[in-house]
Amino acid sequence: MQRPHTSATARHLKDNLGTWVFLLPTLLFFVGYQVYPIFRVVWISFTNYEFLSNDPAQWVGFGNYVEALNDPLMWDSLWRAAYFTMMFLPGTIIFPMILAILVDRVQQPKLQTLYRIVLLIPALIPSTLVFVLWKWMYNYQVGPINYLLVDVFGIFTYQNAPQWLGGTALTLPSIAVMEVWWGLGYHAIFFLAGLAAIPKEMIEAARLDGANEWKVFWHITLPRLAPIMMILVVLRFGTSMAVIDEYLIFGGFNRASPTYTWTMFMYDQAFNIGLWRQGFAAAIGMIGAVVMIFFVGILLYIFRPRG
Amino acid sequence: MVERKEQELLLQEASRKQLLRGQIDRREFLSRSLVAGLGMAGVGVAAKYGIGSALAQDRPLTPTFYDWIENLHPGIPAINEGFPDLNYQIAPVQGFGIERFVAEAKNGESTWDVYVGQTPFVEMTSLVEADVIEPWDDYIPAEVLDDMIPAIRDECTIDGKLYSWPFFLDVAGQGWHSGLTTTAGLPDSAPETWDDYLANAQAVIDSGAAPFGATFDAHGWRCVAPMAHSMSKDVYTPEGLFDFTSEPAIEALILMKKIMAVANPDILLAGATDGGVNGTPDEVAFAAQRVGYITKYFNAPLRMAQYWDEPTQLHLGPLPKFKGGEGSTVFWTTGSALFKHGQNKEKAAEYIKALTYDPRIWKDSIAGTETSHPGQLPPYKSIYAEWDANPPDWMLPFVALVRAQLDKAKAIENNLFGLSQFQIGQPLWQAYLTGEVEDPKVAMQNVMDAVKAERDRG
Amino acid sequence: MTHEAAHPVAYTPQQTWFARNRSLLIRHGVIWFFMLIILAPLAWVLLLSVKSLPDSMRGQLWPRKFDFTHYGYVLGKIETLPQNLFNSIYVTGATVIITTLCAVLAGYALVHLRPFGRAVIFTALLLSLYFPTRVVAIISIYELQDSLGLINSTTGLILPYVTLNLAISVLIMRAVFQLVPHEVIESARLDGAGVWKTLWFIGLPLVRNGLVVVLIVNFVTAWGEFLLGSTLTNDQEARTMPVVLAAAQGGMGQWAWPRIAAVYVIVVTPGLIAFAFAQKLFFKGLAEGVVKG
Repeated sequence: MQRPHTSATARHLKDNLGTWVFLLPTLLFFVGYQVYPIFRVVWISFTNYEFLSNDPAQWVGFGNYVEALNDPLMWDSLWRAAYFTMMFLPGTIIFPMILAILVDRVQQPKLQTLYRIVLLIPALIPSTLVFVLWKWMYNYQVGPINYLLVDVFGIFTYQNAPQWLGGTALTLPSIAVMEVWWGLGYHAIFFLAGLAAIPKEMIEAARLDGANEWKVFWHITLPRLAPIMMILVVLRFGTSMAVIDEYLIFGGFNRASPTYTWTMFMYDQAFNIGLWRQGFAAAIGMIGAVVMIFFVGILLYIFRPRG
Repeated sequence: MVERKEQELLLQEASRKQLLRGQIDRREFLSRSLVAGLGMAGVGVAAKYGIGSALAQDRPLTPTFYDWIENLHPGIPAINEGFPDLNYQIAPVQGFGIERFVAEAKNGESTWDVYVGQTPFVEMTSLVEADVIEPWDDYIPAEVLDDMIPAIRDECTIDGKLYSWPFFLDVAGQGWHSGLTTTAGLPDSAPETWDDYLANAQAVIDSGAAPFGATFDAHGWRCVAPMAHSMSKDVYTPEGLFDFTSEPAIEALILMKKIMAVANPDILLAGATDGGVNGTPDEVAFAAQRVGYITKYFNAPLRMAQYWDEPTQLHLGPLPKFKGGEGSTVFWTTGSALFKHGQNKEKAAEYIKALTYDPRIWKDSIAGTETSHPGQLPPYKSIYAEWDANPPDWMLPFVALVRAQLDKAKAIENNLFGLSQFQIGQPLWQAYLTGEVEDPKVAMQNVMDAVKAERDRG
Repeated sequence: MTHEAAHPVAYTPQQTWFARNRSLLIRHGVIWFFMLIILAPLAWVLLLSVKSLPDSMRGQLWPRKFDFTHYGYVLGKIETLPQNLFNSIYVTGATVIITTLCAVLAGYALVHLRPFGRAVIFTALLLSLYFPTRVVAIISIYELQDSLGLINSTTGLILPYVTLNLAISVLIMRAVFQLVPHEVIESARLDGAGVWKTLWFIGLPLVRNGLVVVLIVNFVTAWGEFLLGSTLTNDQEARTMPVVLAAAQGGMGQWAWPRIAAVYVIVVTPGLIAFAFAQKLFFKGLAEGVVKG
């Protein structure tokens, strides 16, 4: 140590220790319930661990990875998750943003309040009940959507009405609509929080300078909403690529169903088929995670802070 | 040191349970806790307070039920009252999830003593392989074993040992909406052959009585398997897999395509709950009174008829057969599994015996209650004999019919892939139903290949 | 009244009321369209809960016959519903508070106290977001809870629940603390305020918007969580509401549709009323944060 003042180093050290007190609660939870399980999964992915068998797990190196990468189902199922994400992500960002900008401009406090309450209603419904609701909405036989299409408007008949859920080509778009509905108000609240942080004088000044609505939006509102948008994009990208509850409920274990994504492939192998080959399932999960991290890197690059 | 700590905790836990059951009062609990806290020195004192006895009985009989069982059979709590110490629980097994049981067994422990909700072909082999459950043979009375209908006893047996104590019997058959079929000018009786069945279904549509003629549940164990059995039960490979390439299986697939021509168009879609397995399109169509005929386990049409304006218009019959076919069908039971690491095993046998023989359960199941109409039947010969001898006034004709079917019916063979072979195969045989594959034999060969590939992975 | 009022140029007397208020009308029209989309399915459920069984299986929106008995059936059938509701509120509340606390402390420390190794922590948090831990690691989480003796403990659920959104919460707080200029914090500390005081009186008021976001994210996740809840608890009394509800509509014994709809209404209504009251505080906090910012 070449430092002239040892006391400064000591203080630095003490400061750092004090700082770690702030991080301690987070680290405790993070290491216990996130890092440890992940490392366990990584380890399992290199073994032939079978949950239902009592034989000790053997180290198999990259065997599971090779097997998964050679399975066409791995690639199909990854593609299905990506396809869903491409449909879901833009909708769940753009619609709430439009809605938030409109609601933010409502001047009557009572109406504002009313709108904001309505916006959060779907988010107050537990996800299991949201699924129940939309299974009713989309029901082929007696759901209100097909009732309107067949009985009221006569666009379709009992024979050719749209089959919204249950493994058809419409399934993923239908689920995406459900998810957008669920997040419509929830995400709008994010944007409202962001909009509230934009000084009103700034917008007024721009208007006085002759900027039209579009310019105000493009040059003032949008850049200020970018951080919120980034949080939402990154967060929702993560959830939409790894959706499982919805697919378990809406699709089941039919491998031809568009809902059989890599998470379902993993779940099927880990908890349903044969001796529950969790080593192999863990490798599927790892591959999925790596693919996701790769794309998130790209997203973060797109949304990187500029200027 | 560690051991002593454990001993203290055990004492504490035993006392706590006694407190919860109201066997000791709060004050005694506190003083015992104090004693336990004193460590080894306190154990002698503890004995005086009767902690030793608390530890010995440890916990009351703790059965856990798959949740639908109580929903379908609301009489169970009444029977539980006859077992005052019972710690009745609902199992965490949403959609066949047995991971909790397996994880506990790996630690050599079990929160529960007995699981009521095991279907042999679905999960029994898995639970045996994972060393979670043990056979009932040491605990079940011999007369109960002898009383079981032989086909059911076979279903519940692996390597000569009884791993499932059967409770509710489900048999696949047919049901029809007599209101619709009468409007269509059809006789109010069950079509005997599949040809008649198809002709009747067409008549329902042609007469305009309903938009659809007949329907089925697209899950293999509810369509391919029973339909194949109706021709022949000899459709299993030596290792116990369903032989999709056998002639009966292929004929069943061709039949399914014919039924689809008169069925609701959404018939192949996944169901609404339990991973697509339940709440299926055939049930909705039948409940909405839009289809004349259905083939499924009897519980389904009975449940769906509750939605009708006139639930009594539901009539039931045996599964149709192919001309010259065997006329068999598929059945399965839902029963109880005995946890290897559980406790109270004698008591468990006593409880399950009382439960499965209780006449209240069977009356409610057959005649129905205000809230449910399961139509699930008992597994014992003596109960049917009693009904034959003294027919109760609430008896319904379909019971005798099912009993007669049972002599011919067969369960899906127990195998690690008992359920999942049908899940793996479904998209592949459906390629024939949707016209993507022309030849049913090719489709079924694809199924067999996929199932074997998955088996070879393990 | 609105922005239009600030631009007298756009207003000439001969224009009709509709022309003058065109943008206002369009705006409210679009808002109402969205509101309708949000509310229509829920109104349908409300109606379903009072339909007779046969009517529930017909497409027709308006029932031929009303049946109000479903609510009684549900309350009789799930006796533990108030307890389950309480469990949900308890677990959700604790989760939200603990996570928010962790996130504020960690976010503040990562940005303004610059501890050694912060880049590693940041990267680890970020990467963990893309790991389907909840699904893949359910077994190891079960083992962990078991070794802590927390199986079947409602309180025990809080631990994994906190972690569900911990990473994103810390990252959000880190992002908003980055918007607070370093000099503001430094000058407060030079004025002699301790680290904690600086955080409480200077830092926190500046990040209220982020705080609101963190609160909502955690609330929504914990309130609706199902997989962990069903695996880690057994007793009906110990379970949270979504788990108990899922049982009501799953399995072969799935309930008749109108009865599930009645559960729906019973469960959603208290949350709604509570939120209607809470939202005032909620949005006030939001607005104040802005004023001071």
